[in-house]
Amino acid sequence: MRPFHPAYIIYVLPKLLSALWVTFAMVAGTLFFGGLLGFLLAAGKVRRGRIAKTISNIYIYTVRCVPSIVMLFIVYYGLPELLLTFGIDINRVGKGFFVIVTFSILFAANIAEVFRAAYEAVDRGQREAALSIGLSEWQAFRRIILPQCVVVAIPNFTNALINLMKEGALAYTIGLIDIMGKGQLLIGKNQGSYGLEIYLALAGIYWVITILVEKFSAGVEIALSKGRKAPNAKIRERRRKKCS
Amino acid sequence: MQLNTEFMRQTLIDVLAGVPVTLKLTFVTLLLSAPPAFWIALGKTEGGKNRGKISGVYVSVVRGTPVVVQILFLYSLLPTMLNYLIKNVFRLDFNIFNIDAVWYAYIIFILNTTAVLSEVFRSALLAVDGGQLEAALSIGLSRRQAYMRIIIPQALMSALPNICNTTVSLLKNSSLAFMMTVKDITAIAKVKAAYGYNYIEAYLVILLMYVILCSVVQGIFRLLENAVSVRRRAAV
Repeated sequence: MRPFHPAYIIYVLPKLLSALWVTFAMVAGTLFFGGLLGFLLAAGKVRRGRIAKTISNIYIYTVRCVPSIVMLFIVYYGLPELLLTFGIDINRVGKGFFVIVTFSILFAANIAEVFRAAYEAVDRGQREAALSIGLSEWQAFRRIILPQCVVVAIPNFTNALINLMKEGALAYTIGLIDIMGKGQLLIGKNQGSYGLEIYLALAGIYWVITILVEKFSAGVEIALSKGRKAPNAKIRERRRKKCS
Repeated sequence: MQLNTEFMRQTLIDVLAGVPVTLKLTFVTLLLSAPPAFWIALGKTEGGKNRGKISGVYVSVVRGTPVVVQILFLYSLLPTMLNYLIKNVFRLDFNIFNIDAVWYAYIIFILNTTAVLSEVFRSALLAVDGGQLEAALSIGLSRRQAYMRIIIPQALMSALPNICNTTVSLLKNSSLAFMMTVKDITAIAKVKAAYGYNYIEAYLVILLMYVILCSVVQGIFRLLENAVSVRRRAAV
């Protein structure tokens, strides 16, 4: 068995962390574009228009059935060809672009379901009441529905976000140098040795980020749901624990 | 943009050979992960302190790290470690490097799915009212009987949609088994694509395959849900 060097994990951490911003940039870009698309899809699903509903349903259903790695390669190989037929050449565009496009497509489908569930969790009477006191449709949404949706959506949103970050690790397969790609580069540089130590360091980094994100979102959720009558199960559980 | 339809047709037929591998990978993993997952969930809801803590760390690590990292880590650790154990501890004459990589895939996916399923089971157990267990015990059922006859049937009902989600995501994740040289749908199509650089066509075929497989899985779960809820309605 090859020797295991725990000290190498510490040694390699700063090198891996130097690529952390790429991972974060990927997540942030996807969050923006995927969130936007997801919002449109969710809107299409809850509105009454039949065409928009069908399109949203087909999109969400199909995309949720596709493994991320397959989608990644379809976009990476397919998108340049597709755009070339319209006379747009994106063969020189950086790999980050393809990664963000891929994960936006995937993330939009997941987040659309989160948005929809949150929207439907708010009582219909709320909207009707808001309209009846003379708010416009948009005002009712922004001032009455949205603030209530946000609280409901937080746990699922956090899950989707963490999933996105973890799936994002696949981006190294098309050559993006995020922390995962950096790790692969380092292993290549060492001619395949220290693999275990590097993967362990990577797992550690992802684990810590996940825990931080979860803690942060739980804090936000508790802060936002202050004074609400029926907090969700997670908070109830926590409150019960505090009492006992 | 031109697609090579002849290649797609041929690949679609070739890829069918990978469907049993993918399905086996999914369902064997699911079946073998369920018992330990249930044990962990029970440990958490019933509140044995050490058991809850250890399984908590395990679940948190598995859910907090990407599947790729888990695969790459375990796939670079397991073979050499097993080889060392067999050669130096058990002193057997057996070459571990000859066994099929699919066994490593099973180990890795079981470790992963156990953690995910344990959370599904835990939330399902919590969804059953605590009074149910007390009532069952008070009329003289043993703990085991109470769980088998009262708690689990009710918990299963609320767990089914989540089990469906877990199955679908497991099915999708099993496409990563090609990293361990397992010949599943993705691996076969990738090899085909590499001959003539027909990547787009090959990946579209894979996409189609996964959409079909996921639809079948979701259809089965919908039937199951209907069957269970019919029984429930009849009981009321």
